[in-house]
Amino acid sequence: MSISSTTSSIRASAWREQFAYIGYQVRHHPLVLIGLVIVVGWVLVALFAPFLAPKEPLAQNVTDRLQPPGSRGYVWGTDELGRDIYSRVLYGARITIPAGLAVITIGSVIGVLVGAIAGYVGGIWDEVLMRITELFMAFPTIILAMAVTAALGPDIRNAIIALVIVWWPNYARLLRGIVLEIKNNEYIEAARSAGAGGSYILFRTILPNSVAPAVVLMTLDIGNAILTFAGLSFLGLGPDPTSPEWGRMVAIGIDFFGQWWMWLFPGLAIASLVMAFNFIGDGVRDIFDPRLR
Amino acid sequence: MSLQVYILRRFLFVIPLLLGITVVAFVIANAVPADPINANLPQNALNDERLVQAFREKWGLDKPPVEQYLTYLGNLLRGDMGVSIKTRNPILDDIRQFLPATIELATFSIVIGLALGISVGVVSAVWKNSLIDYLARTFVVIGVSFPVFVLALVGLTVFHVQLGWVAGPGRLDFIIRNPPHVTGLFTIDSILAGQWDKLGNALSHLVLPSIILGSYVAGIIARITRSSLLEVLGMDYVRTARSKGVHERRVIMRHALANAMIPVVTIIGISYGNLLVGSVLIESIFAWPGIGRYAFRASTSQDFPAIMGVSILIAFIYVAVNFIVDILYYFLDPRIRVA
Amino acid sequence: MAYRGRLFSMLALTLVVALLIGGGLAAQEERVLVIGHAEQTDSYDPAHGFTPTTGLVNRATYDTLVTFPDDDASEILPSLATEWTVSDDGLVYTFTLGDEARFSNGDPVTAEDVVFSILRLQNVRSNPGFLAGPDRIASVEAIDEKTVAFTLPGPRPSFLVELTNPVFSITNADVVRANGGTDAADAAETDTARDYLDQNSAGTGPYLLESWAPQDQTSLVRNPDYWGEPPYFDRVIIVNIPEAATQKAALESGQIDIALDLTPDQIAELEGVDGISIFTGPGQWTHFLLMNADPELGGPVSDPLVQLAIRYALDYEGYRELWSGSVTPGTNMAYILAGAFQQDRAFTRDLDRARELLAEAGYPDGFDITLSYPDYTAFGVNMNTNAQKIQADLAEVGINVTLNPGELQVSLEEYRNGRQGFGYWFWGPDILDPIDLLSFVPGGKVAAERANWTIDMVDPEIAALIEQAQVESDPDTRLELFEQLQEFMQQEGIFAPFNVPATQRAYRSDLQGFVWHPQWELDVALLSRVE
Repeated sequence: MSISSTTSSIRASAWREQFAYIGYQVRHHPLVLIGLVIVVGWVLVALFAPFLAPKEPLAQNVTDRLQPPGSRGYVWGTDELGRDIYSRVLYGARITIPAGLAVITIGSVIGVLVGAIAGYVGGIWDEVLMRITELFMAFPTIILAMAVTAALGPDIRNAIIALVIVWWPNYARLLRGIVLEIKNNEYIEAARSAGAGGSYILFRTILPNSVAPAVVLMTLDIGNAILTFAGLSFLGLGPDPTSPEWGRMVAIGIDFFGQWWMWLFPGLAIASLVMAFNFIGDGVRDIFDPRLR
Repeated sequence: MSLQVYILRRFLFVIPLLLGITVVAFVIANAVPADPINANLPQNALNDERLVQAFREKWGLDKPPVEQYLTYLGNLLRGDMGVSIKTRNPILDDIRQFLPATIELATFSIVIGLALGISVGVVSAVWKNSLIDYLARTFVVIGVSFPVFVLALVGLTVFHVQLGWVAGPGRLDFIIRNPPHVTGLFTIDSILAGQWDKLGNALSHLVLPSIILGSYVAGIIARITRSSLLEVLGMDYVRTARSKGVHERRVIMRHALANAMIPVVTIIGISYGNLLVGSVLIESIFAWPGIGRYAFRASTSQDFPAIMGVSILIAFIYVAVNFIVDILYYFLDPRIRVA
Repeated sequence: MAYRGRLFSMLALTLVVALLIGGGLAAQEERVLVIGHAEQTDSYDPAHGFTPTTGLVNRATYDTLVTFPDDDASEILPSLATEWTVSDDGLVYTFTLGDEARFSNGDPVTAEDVVFSILRLQNVRSNPGFLAGPDRIASVEAIDEKTVAFTLPGPRPSFLVELTNPVFSITNADVVRANGGTDAADAAETDTARDYLDQNSAGTGPYLLESWAPQDQTSLVRNPDYWGEPPYFDRVIIVNIPEAATQKAALESGQIDIALDLTPDQIAELEGVDGISIFTGPGQWTHFLLMNADPELGGPVSDPLVQLAIRYALDYEGYRELWSGSVTPGTNMAYILAGAFQQDRAFTRDLDRARELLAEAGYPDGFDITLSYPDYTAFGVNMNTNAQKIQADLAEVGINVTLNPGELQVSLEEYRNGRQGFGYWFWGPDILDPIDLLSFVPGGKVAAERANWTIDMVDPEIAALIEQAQVESDPDTRLELFEQLQEFMQQEGIFAPFNVPATQRAYRSDLQGFVWHPQWELDVALLSRVE
């Protein structure tokens, strides 16, 4: 064989090894598999909701209100305005999942940057940034969310903004802690003595190593974000009343507690997603944490 | 570094933080678009310029924002948080009335959460990846996967209305008068007054909401305990202890657990602060007259002295709790002492 | 380790024992009534309080000059005043006070107390003050110790009805004055009795206000020196339970005796349940759309043709399905009042007619508009639900409604300042008399102040009708006048009233004497329990 083909086959086998390793890990962490299946399942539902939903999520039919599951062709029953719960849950995935992802993604980007800079640069910048971070952490969530919503209006977008403001400090703290630990690590010393500059070290060494813990936190937090949307809806701060967002549906549903299908189905949807992300997060930590191998 | 230096350093940096909190609270309270005049003066009075002007003067609304803030700050330092526009009581009185209820609930919840969470976490870590591990983790996760107000209502309907195992909404049965006020915590107050029946009643009302809130805390604590304990169990000194022939149980309890608890302590600090205001959801369902519900009402009725007062209070408690946690770190984590 | 363990288990044991004792706390000898309600009380001072809860409590702690029968508003009955005369020109009402009544501290009720209470209500100028404003009561004087005379600025046949409102409660002038109260012209700035009256009552009623912990509980105790028939319950507690679902649970388990805020669907679930009784009665809260007459604020909906189109476009039957037991109102006049248009004269949905009118107004393809309303649940009726249906209804004629729910206070402010272009609100009559409709006609409180529909915007004929309706006292002429006014409102009004939910309350079956009244919600002195 030629040299180049040997090299490429070695590189190819390196990739195969990576995948084999990941596959091995997943097989030995069945909860992660379950979690992944559920999440992928919901993402597919969100993508194909228009094809899967038998009825329009906003279509009201007052004469058919509060129908139990199975009657008059409503698979999961209807709500207080006669809308099909099944269709609303399917469409709701298109709002709830991206909203949760948005909060976590934006929050973590901001938080990671702030935390990494604080940890790496250190000194007075560290203290100042950390005080600002603590400021946002200390502030009562409800009041912050209320102020944002009252100022901007109840809308899913504003709820996302409110939650981003509340969420990013967690990532800042996490990243700072990681960066501090890594900073004193030997291979940073090695890189520096080899002539590597500050930003090189930051971006090529520290950040990639911070990704794993951050990702763990992110996956666990998506569930929390979704639950917080539900809480905001309960208080009247969430998305607009017609929205099939799951949290909204549950919040309204408990006023119709006896009509269990109104709150149980969206509640189970939320719960399944939260649990799935929890399993994934736990598993990701177990897989990637070098100390646990 | 010595303990004194450590405390001093932490303290110095807490002061600007507290100031910052007052500024943010002020901005928040004024960010809401509606004019508090219209929210709190009756229609009749709105037509009378004199009354409007008197209202503005009384609440300091006629001065520029910076001056308003400085006046507020000055009063705050003197211990005067102003008067709630809605309840017309001094904010401190309102806090004295509503805060104890939430503290009682939060404390019981944390205790339950710790007990449950640490147990599950330890079990999970020690029998890692076994069926017990998976069951324990699944069970805990279920508790944190449903929105809390759903669990609350389900719990209330099943365990109170249908089974009659626990008491219903409120801190006491409504026909019972409160115990004589000393701390505002009904459990303590009834003990101090020797009213044992009221103690029991208060406890039976605390059971359900604190278990529900506690299960949320338990979820987080279980996870942290598990990962932290696993980390510690893999460390050199544990291996050394094992190789010396120390009994496994002793290894865990004596050597590993204490160190594993460090991150848990952090979480307690954060969780307590979150519970204080996050409790608004539970307080709504259980008709619990606490500070969470008070904060929510203040926010919706633009009661800006109350908004500022509660924000500052909660934030200060959070900072205080974390300050204590930081000090605990000093004792728990030897690396700080030698820094 | 062993010592710590023993201490811990002793602690646990104590807690368990206490739990067992307390969990099964026996009912005390006291007769206590517990009412669960989502508290909205602003004050229990009759000169300041203007919410249903205030009415309920003040009915128990105070008396008015005249009153209604227990269960309706069909006639005026004597209360603190045993006789009254009206001058021929209808301007002077003279009341004679009875001798039996006395305040809770033993003081007799004198004309001076009446004058003080009314003037204080007028001069403090708080929420309910407008009902006693100088435009409604020109003067009130004590003729002698037991005689009071009211002079009105113009004849107004609804005056006696107005006096039944708990805001006209007669307070003990000496006590109120001793606690900072004043009825002087500058009372709005100098009166300081509110804090006292929020925690104590100074009245003649069967109960005393024991305490009020805002957002927590209101507690009433029996007035030991009551001059009338003593009530059954020793204590009445009104507990703040903001969640309807929790109220239902507490009622089912017996923790509370009466739940005031259940939704019609929750009530339906309780029908036939052992131990729970349901009261159903006529509704008094009219839910309506408001269309600002100012083109800059209302935009398309300031056009009378559009307004009429919207009245044709709403699916009235649908709202009746949403709120079981509700009726469709004919107009903004509460349908329980004499001469009010009933459901048979109300609009029915006619989409074709609506589209015709819209095209005529120049909107053949409809238009976009924002609907502002408070995110609020009024006695079990969720405004968000109605708003969503309004959006769906109007979408069928091409009107695209964007929902704008607001915090109650924020929305209320816009509404009170007349800045809402297109709003959804509800109204309960302040005065249980057809004259209440005048709040909605051009120039009226709601019409002019909230929606800029002023008297100069209508034909002089209509203006004359309105003027006459304000003072006319002959019952037949009144019926005729209000008939014409209601027809006018239906054709050219800026409002679209669409639903009046029924009054439904749930209570424990062992309660007797449960009577709901539109003026004061519930008279707790009439309640008793089957032993």
